[in-house]
Amino acid sequence: MWRGSMAKSSSAGLSALGARVWNWCDERLALSSIWAIAEKKTVPLHRHTFWYFWGGISLLLFIVQAITGVLLLIYYRPGPEAYDSVRSITYDIQFGWFVRSLHSWAANLMVFAVFVHMFSVAFMKAYRRPREFGWWTGLALMGLVLVFGFSGYLLPWDELSYFATAVGLEIPRSLPGVGALIANIVQGGPEVSTVTVQRFFALHVFVLPLVFMGILGVHLALIMKHGSAVPPSEEARPERERRSIPFFPNFATQDLVMWLICFNVLCVMAFVFPWQLGKPADPLASAPEGIHPEWYFMSQFQVLKVLGEWIPGYLGEILGIGLFTLGGVLWGLLPLYDNTSQSGVRARHATWLALIALIGLLALTIWGYAGL
Amino acid sequence: MNYPVWDVPVLGGAWVIAIIAIIHVLISHFAVGGGLFLPMAERRALAQGRAEWMPLLKRHSRFFLVLTAAAGTVTGVGIWFSIGLGSPAGTSALIHNFVFVWAIEWVFFLVEITAAAVYYYTWDRVSDKLHLAVGWVYAVSSLWTLIIINGILAFMLTPAGAWLDAAGTGDEVRTLWPAFFNAEYWPSLIARALVAISLAGTYALVTVSLLDGAKHADLKESFARWSSRWVLPGFVLMPIAMGWFVAALPEGAREILALGVGGAGVGAFTQVTRAALYAAVGSATIAPIVLLLVWRDARHLRLSHALAVIGLALLTTGASEMAREMLRKPYIVRGYMYSNGLFEAAVDTPEERTASYLANSPWVRPAEAQAWASPVSSESYQLERGELMYRGQCLACHTRDGYRSTRRLLASRDRDGIQSILTMLHERPEDSPYNRYMPPLVGTADEIAALGDYLFEDTTVARRAYLKKEGLTEDESVAPAEPEAQD
Repeated sequence: MWRGSMAKSSSAGLSALGARVWNWCDERLALSSIWAIAEKKTVPLHRHTFWYFWGGISLLLFIVQAITGVLLLIYYRPGPEAYDSVRSITYDIQFGWFVRSLHSWAANLMVFAVFVHMFSVAFMKAYRRPREFGWWTGLALMGLVLVFGFSGYLLPWDELSYFATAVGLEIPRSLPGVGALIANIVQGGPEVSTVTVQRFFALHVFVLPLVFMGILGVHLALIMKHGSAVPPSEEARPERERRSIPFFPNFATQDLVMWLICFNVLCVMAFVFPWQLGKPADPLASAPEGIHPEWYFMSQFQVLKVLGEWIPGYLGEILGIGLFTLGGVLWGLLPLYDNTSQSGVRARHATWLALIALIGLLALTIWGYAGL
Repeated sequence: MNYPVWDVPVLGGAWVIAIIAIIHVLISHFAVGGGLFLPMAERRALAQGRAEWMPLLKRHSRFFLVLTAAAGTVTGVGIWFSIGLGSPAGTSALIHNFVFVWAIEWVFFLVEITAAAVYYYTWDRVSDKLHLAVGWVYAVSSLWTLIIINGILAFMLTPAGAWLDAAGTGDEVRTLWPAFFNAEYWPSLIARALVAISLAGTYALVTVSLLDGAKHADLKESFARWSSRWVLPGFVLMPIAMGWFVAALPEGAREILALGVGGAGVGAFTQVTRAALYAAVGSATIAPIVLLLVWRDARHLRLSHALAVIGLALLTTGASEMAREMLRKPYIVRGYMYSNGLFEAAVDTPEERTASYLANSPWVRPAEAQAWASPVSSESYQLERGELMYRGQCLACHTRDGYRSTRRLLASRDRDGIQSILTMLHERPEDSPYNRYMPPLVGTADEIAALGDYLFEDTTVARRAYLKKEGLTEDESVAPAEPEAQD
């Protein structure tokens, strides 16, 4: 590489032009020092290294959504024309269906990747000191990803998106006292309408990306600062037996390979299952049979459904929301509870909590779909 | 009457053929590329004194022998079985025209697998020079199998005009070479050769990934890097070969390919476009993946990496073969025989299409032919005739309840709606969107009515589910104006 040669004060083996280009850029951008920092960073090499890729995969899917989102913006018209514009994107504009499918599939795969990343961090105990803020910023990003999904789902303004959003907004509405106010502010009125589409659009394409990128920057900076955590099983090994590879270029190259593989998976999904568009939303029509939210909200939906059957009325809904909130708070406080690198009772409790959370989410989701 | 129409529920006969064929294509292309890879690698090892490469090459040749001679042969025979069942008329037409070409290919195949076995079993037993010579015999014979079979595959897509003129006259043999060296022959051959060379490199990664990078760092690195270079010719030249391939396509096939650009759902049969697009994405990304895997960290190349690349190669090959097959729509041999075995020349005019299908079907016993073609005598008889029409003219591409399910596609139509689409398929008005993708429907008015009755009865459950979902009654079911998506 150019830099390697420059570090040896020699351009042997390199073309003079390449060396001159490097020098020109290096002088202005301090590439040598960036390279030196990147080369010093290492990534642990062990049997769980595979799980380190999921953060990068989530990032790739976010980038894909950003790019395809900008392309969709060219033709999408929020408000009363929302449905027609998405119809045009899907069925008239050249490769519009492909861009939309990539965007939608990337959103779904990103939620999946973020969940995998979060649970891998939990099981590898990568939230422990000094990485608490990495955990918290990660949770904030996951929350934003879910809001991204929820707000984006309404934008096509078709039958399914309308009813799924209406059902979803019943959750904040059921909050005692402030519920109706919150729902009204979000909806832009007492009901979901094209005004809601405009509000969700603003949230989806401006507010959320801005907040997301800010927190993402902090999250990545923290990872650069603290490096990749090793799981307890690896930590127990003597230092001399641990292996690692430089982050740059070795791990970054593998990351890139993973990105390319992921991009293939994304394209396969978009080509095999191109995103379709239902009938236009009709608030006066009755809800289609088996209406349900997207898969990543299915576990919460199922909890509310079951509690609503057991304890009808507000109490059941409030209990459900209380349960989510409590679960979320406990999950967020994990680094404060299991905060040392010692294996002990707290570490075991934390592992059990993560396991119960994972199995609970999967079981509730499957139960939810089975009950449709 | 199950035979000779192959009724494969859910999947459909075409998919059975496709699954076997895609695996076979992947193996056979590897056999061709690997045929070049082994002697070239051995020659390099001998020239550069890399004795440590030899045990690795021996192991690779064993893997190669098992894969090509066993799996390749089994899937090859599987293709013959499946096409014989799925498309007996098409298979017959190809055999009658290319029997000697296939015989030549078979001879080369025999030499190929014999040379592969000799090559593996003579490691360390004969001189280096002789062993290398056996390797070259393998390489040349396997290349010839591709050179020959490519002519027949390309012929199905673009049979030459001279052959089409002679088709059915009994004089086809005079036009064998124009038919063989048809418009798609050269671009197709070049594309396949590039695929074969790329696959040779990617399969070699499987063998080298099994080496312990800590113990054999230099060997793993040098061999992996050299193998990875085999993906480069395909990466650089494939866009040119594909451009040539598309340019040589008949106008109708190019139109089908372009249809999926503007929409992937309503009113479009867009699978071919989507398959072609994935083939492009896969081709463009496999080479960078391989090069990145070995560029910096060849020592850490793992079996999972190599298998991921093979998986992508399988997907890409599958997508490109699927696209090529679908470009022939609605033919087995373009301009000659439709996918359900009907000859284009025999059903070209409205009069020809109105002749009895059942009475003229080669699969109906002569003694029964007239009875099947005679007017309706009872409702059950009518449905039986309709089912025979369905088996003969629809099942080659559709299934009842799976791939291209007729129940799903017709669920929104009432009896008249089903009849109207059958009438459109039968009359083939110029503006019918179905003309590009579906063969004409052949039969007397009575036979077509019988088919409509059968389809209506067969679709009952699906139609009720549709009506319930839409909140409609039987009287309100509607026939969509545009053709349905065919996924």
